Amino acid sequence: MASLFPRRLLGRRNRATQTERVRERKHEGFLRYANFRWAKISGGLCLLVITSYALIDVTPRPNGGSWYGYTLGTIGALLILWLTALGYRKRKMTRDAWSLKAWTSAHVYLGLSLIVIGTWHTGFQLGWNVHTLAWALMMLVILSGLYGVIVYATLPAALSNNRDEMTQMQMLEAIRAFDRQLHAAAQPLSPEDTAPVLASLDEDPFAGGIRARLSGRYPKDATAAALRALSLSHGGNADARQKVIGLLSQKEAALARLRAHLRIRAMLEIWLYVHVPLTFALIAALSAHIISVFFYW
Amino acid sequence: MSFILRRISTTKTGKQIVRDQPLPGASITLGRDGGNTIHVADLAVNPQHATISSADGRHVRVQASEGLGFDLNGRTLDIADIDSAAGAELRFGGHRLTIAREGENIILLVERIDELSQSSKDVDEARAFSLAAVMPGRRMGAWAFALVVLLAFLIGPIWAWHSYRSVDVRPQGYHADKAWLSGPLSSAHASLKNDCQACHVDAFVAVTDKACVGCHTGEHKAMSASHADASTAMLLAARHPPGVGEKVLAGFAKAFNKPQGRCVECHTEHEGAGPMPPTPQKFCADCHDGMASRLKAAGFKVDVADAGDFGTAHPEFRPLVRAAPGAKPARAMPGTGPLVDYDGLKFPHDVHLAANGGVARMAASFRGQYDFGKKLECQNCHRPDADGVRIKPVVMERDCAMCHSLAFETVGGVTRTLRHGEPDQVVADLYAYYRSTPPSRPLQLGGMERRRPGQYAEGQLYNIYFREVAVRPNRAADAVRAVFSKGGACYDCHTIFAPASGNNWRVMAVNQTPRYLEKGWFDHDAHKATKCADCHTAAPGSKAASDLLVPGLRQCRDCHVGEGGARLVKVETATESPCAMCHEYHSDGGKPWMPARQRKVNSAAITHKPLAAIYDVSLITGTEGRGLYDVTWRTPSLHGARRGG
Repeated sequence: MASLFPRRLLGRRNRATQTERVRERKHEGFLRYANFRWAKISGGLCLLVITSYALIDVTPRPNGGSWYGYTLGTIGALLILWLTALGYRKRKMTRDAWSLKAWTSAHVYLGLSLIVIGTWHTGFQLGWNVHTLAWALMMLVILSGLYGVIVYATLPAALSNNRDEMTQMQMLEAIRAFDRQLHAAAQPLSPEDTAPVLASLDEDPFAGGIRARLSGRYPKDATAAALRALSLSHGGNADARQKVIGLLSQKEAALARLRAHLRIRAMLEIWLYVHVPLTFALIAALSAHIISVFFYW
Repeated sequence: MSFILRRISTTKTGKQIVRDQPLPGASITLGRDGGNTIHVADLAVNPQHATISSADGRHVRVQASEGLGFDLNGRTLDIADIDSAAGAELRFGGHRLTIAREGENIILLVERIDELSQSSKDVDEARAFSLAAVMPGRRMGAWAFALVVLLAFLIGPIWAWHSYRSVDVRPQGYHADKAWLSGPLSSAHASLKNDCQACHVDAFVAVTDKACVGCHTGEHKAMSASHADASTAMLLAARHPPGVGEKVLAGFAKAFNKPQGRCVECHTEHEGAGPMPPTPQKFCADCHDGMASRLKAAGFKVDVADAGDFGTAHPEFRPLVRAAPGAKPARAMPGTGPLVDYDGLKFPHDVHLAANGGVARMAASFRGQYDFGKKLECQNCHRPDADGVRIKPVVMERDCAMCHSLAFETVGGVTRTLRHGEPDQVVADLYAYYRSTPPSRPLQLGGMERRRPGQYAEGQLYNIYFREVAVRPNRAADAVRAVFSKGGACYDCHTIFAPASGNNWRVMAVNQTPRYLEKGWFDHDAHKATKCADCHTAAPGSKAASDLLVPGLRQCRDCHVGEGGARLVKVETATESPCAMCHEYHSDGGKPWMPARQRKVNSAAITHKPLAAIYDVSLITGTEGRGLYDVTWRTPSLHGARRGG
């Protein structure tokens, strides 16, 4: 091996690994990676673009077809392809200088710099055409990514608080336990009283569409309805009913925790449903944009 | 016959244990209540749900009570008769009741088949807890979106282009390639917005000059003519060496098959609705700044000077002049002495514009009759033409004759004048005059003194008079000679050729050049607010008509600076002047085109000069007279001597 890899290279590699270990110990996330190295690079790039745009006099007026526009456009298009490659890169984790963390850090900050590169490439000429479509898709992708970064930075704490040292399956298991107890406790109830309990048992804790997931509101919740129905019920076995009511409110609490968990997870994940499909729409629009320019040269 | 309840339980190892329990009686009950023969702990089952009985030991009757039925073969029933030999499966809530026959006994198998609750069902944790459970897949979305975009914005436009390839003019309506429009077309081309192929003829081939010249035939010829029909190679050689940016652009152009030197490189389109943008100075200066050396290096003959910016880098004007009397007009070469232009006239501007002296006194004596003030002003003789752009030639009858009279006789109160512009007629008129009139009578013949006849001897009275009468016609020759010679009416203003080899007296032709600056445009109308002498500074001091009084670059630069405000001298009210203010590419004889917003002249800033400035000017021109454009001239009827002279 030593003959295959020069000692010098191995040394550098070891040093890089060493630095990475220190970073890991310090719990340095992708945002703060290497003391905001990529934030600085990206910020510098934006500043360069903005100042040079102001200094360079493109006649008759700035647009994507000037030499400056071509330059920004080429940089932007290559950057978009490289940023898309994160989807491939993230499936291959490494710990070196170009670790996934470094890559993600660069992805986030260079992606944000694309706002300036792409927008200044347009020369602020927007219209109802494929060129502006590509720009708009790019902005949507970037903004959804920005949202993703923000929720990644803020929501995990809420997620952790909510789960109260329980795993997801433990949350589900709690509901299952309450269901079993409910089933047993409700046996003495009259048929009128068992119907709402049965409805609560039949309810899927994962039911509800994307709207319920994101809002955390389940207006047709059967457990809450059962609780209401039993509280109003009279006659029959009152002791058994009280026990069922107690179990129902406990199940309700467990359900609320699970649903809060689902809501936070939905908010953590929803941006990817914009970010990823629109990225491919963007690449398609970008291809159409570039081909159209050369087609009607 | 008896009913046997069979229960099956499964051990942890998966082994099934079957327990049979005979049930007493021919009728048994089934329900959630503990008092039933078959107790089913299922909330979906009623406390007393059904009765199972058999009359003959073979057929089983199942009858539901309390309204809730059971399911048999997918149907909900309240009562059913079942042949136990054939067997059946009944469903009560989450449980299944299987009826079968073994020997003489009817076997009732009861087992829970549904989960206790929905939550008890097995879940795929990774999927159930994530959004993947409620959202269409991201991969699906990616493909769908990409496909839609490609169809609408790539395939569609290419299809539109393909389907109209051999069509001259596209029909109205939406065409998919409109989505490719990179910006609104200029107002001149607005009608082409649905027809991309009008200019973009072939795929991946940059717009060619052919597409432009197809409609713009005249402009193309004029453009070539104004550039001396220079070849494309020469035009390309004239361009300035590319900077970093242009190298980038040229690199793109080369890499993607975009030829250079096409119309559209300067006349960019899709730059927004409205008129095409006026050509900025850069488009001229890109070539003309330092062009001579580049052309020379490329092996072309150069006869045009470098020009980069009016304020700082512009060659001296080369007005069209006649360098010698009778010479052909040619563009002057500045820097080789004072410029002269021989128009054939003798006219000392200094004498005529002087504030005192004979001319001023004579002009003053005409006040009230003509538009003169205390002295002559430029505008008394020079007047703008109809559109105000140029100055009309001076016309003798209108502008000179009130002082420089050609009168020679009065007949019955009518003054006869020599015919201006027709020397032969002048000669003939003078001869006729001398032939038809006697000499003035000698003084001695007047009075009432008695005269004796016979005084015919030489030296005597009659002799003198008759001699005068006899030779009078011959005096005409002297008069003609006098009028054409020094001190005579013609000679004062014109260059005269004496009779020689069969020719009579001749007057040199007068040529008042209507436009001195042929390559650029000067619009007098745009300079109304300025006094003549502000620019024509040499006029008040000029002693000879051959002095060229056309202002030079220096005078223009008193107000006009480069497009970007560049200047060499101090300018108080600067007028930014791109090349196209005076020059135009497509010489069509008209004023250079300028967008309306640029046509506005900041004349207030020029006319409202500080008093000192006016005073300075009046030192040269004398006290203020009426402006060139204020003259209301009682125009005498003129004959067609429009050429001047």
